[in-house]
Amino acid sequence: MSSTAIVSGDDTLDPSLQSILDQKSLRWIFVGGKGGVGKTTTSCSLAIQLAKVRRSVLLISTDPAHNLSDAFNQKFGKEARLIDGFDNLSAMEIDPNGSIQDLMAGQAGEDVDAMSGGMGGMMQDLAFAIPGIDEAMSFAEVLKQVKSLSYETIIFDTAPTGHTLRFLQFPSVLEKALAKISQLSSQYGPLLNGFLGANGTLPNGQNLNDMMEKLEGLRATISEVNTQFKDENLTTFVCVCIAEFLSLYETERMIQELASYGIDTHSIVVNQLLFPKQGSGCDQCNARRKMQKKYLDQIEELYDEFNVVRMPLLVEEVRGKERLEKFSDMLVHPYVPPE
Amino acid sequence: MPALLLVVFLVELAVHLVNTIGASSINNLLWTLYLMLPTETSKNSRQRQKLQSEYLKVRRDLNATSSQDEFAKWAKLRRQHDKLMEQLEKMSTSGGRSKELVFVHEEGRDARFADQVPTETSHDATKTKFDSTVGVVRWSLTRGLKIVLPLWYSRQPMFWLPKGWFPYYVEWILSFPRAPLGSISIVSWQMACTGVIMLVSDTITAVLGLILGARLQAREKPVKAAAPKEEGKAQAKKDS
Repeated sequence: MSSTAIVSGDDTLDPSLQSILDQKSLRWIFVGGKGGVGKTTTSCSLAIQLAKVRRSVLLISTDPAHNLSDAFNQKFGKEARLIDGFDNLSAMEIDPNGSIQDLMAGQAGEDVDAMSGGMGGMMQDLAFAIPGIDEAMSFAEVLKQVKSLSYETIIFDTAPTGHTLRFLQFPSVLEKALAKISQLSSQYGPLLNGFLGANGTLPNGQNLNDMMEKLEGLRATISEVNTQFKDENLTTFVCVCIAEFLSLYETERMIQELASYGIDTHSIVVNQLLFPKQGSGCDQCNARRKMQKKYLDQIEELYDEFNVVRMPLLVEEVRGKERLEKFSDMLVHPYVPPE
Repeated sequence: MPALLLVVFLVELAVHLVNTIGASSINNLLWTLYLMLPTETSKNSRQRQKLQSEYLKVRRDLNATSSQDEFAKWAKLRRQHDKLMEQLEKMSTSGGRSKELVFVHEEGRDARFADQVPTETSHDATKTKFDSTVGVVRWSLTRGLKIVLPLWYSRQPMFWLPKGWFPYYVEWILSFPRAPLGSISIVSWQMACTGVIMLVSDTITAVLGLILGARLQAREKPVKAAAPKEEGKAQAKKDS
């Protein structure tokens, strides 16, 4: 790790995530960005820093390519588990592609094929036609769990950009879709039950009323989450990017979309910055430094209302508790490259 | 019944004019006139035009800015661009659709409604509504009257024929269907009016056609005269 100059901090806003640490009301923190920019490292570091000032912190990874296990050298699963060496920091990994099978639970395996053209097939089609329902299901499941566990702050390490936005968008989409379905079921439920017999069993062995009840429950959870996510006192989004065009482009797109969903975001972490030694002979490093400098200037000009944190690219991989702790310190105390 | 005579003639004339000029061009003319009036719609339309030109300007700037070299400037323009586009879309289509229903229901309170949500009243929806209203009015003033008047005044003589000038069967046809014998019925009068209007209009068209044709010919003549000369030149060139 070496350096020359640092971009002088003449911003009006502090170039650190201290504001997030200080904002005690925050309950949900999302960390997102393009793939490979260091979201997991950043979210782990932020979690470590938060754990120092909060009672209990939960770190959740919704990335299908789970990296939390790698980052902490510890296996995490669908249940929240304490991270080794911490007493108030837990982690869990959920699969956003976790399926709708829970909803369809109790489905009789043997005559699914026989009935696939009938009622069962239709309900399944209906359920799958709702965009993002699979994510929603697992997400709602997690939220239910999280609510009962009473963590003070929950950090989401989200999947790469497109995925993230779908994830955040679904509350509004799903609420509408589910409202329609509930309405349909209350209108045609009696009719369907007439067809289906007295106990309202679907051909695949599932109860119609039961399923509608589940959907209704899901809708209630989601609308609550929706209101929480749109409250800037409860939720914020930390954008992670690297000083390159595509990453910057995606970040701008993400910030605009977040604004359209009404989700607050006021922090950007610019990761993997190179600080080559003065008079360094490394041509690649110098060229890259020049390019990064250009985009850093652009970021500064464009996001003057954001906390822009600059993180250096280290020579070693940031894995394990000690290295993460060292790295996380730079989120709070801006990195000053040694002369 | 001179007034009725005149009215029937005017209706026929109007029908003929509408048929020749075309309903859509009349609608467009009226729409342009309507927009000139100081109404809410015209204000909206002007605002829309302003937005449109602004949008085009931002778009041009955006295309002229390199996203790689001046990302900050480009992104700011992009934000502006998206915002303007959203506004425009809201004004022209989807945004106004849901409101449109309300708009139709609250016809009596049009003006107030427009005051409340000036941006949401869709331009296109207003135009469609205007067109349909104008269409209804036009139809009832021309075709409608053309049907209603003969029914209403079917028993009324338009004017009387001099007695004994025409044989019985002619009188019978002229008084068809229900006017007293020896008079001109409204249907006959209508047909007479149509005939005259057609004749006059055909004459005018023919005369205009002749005049225009003559002018065209006069213009073409010098060209034709010039053409052989050039041909001759070309021929000469070829020969040499």
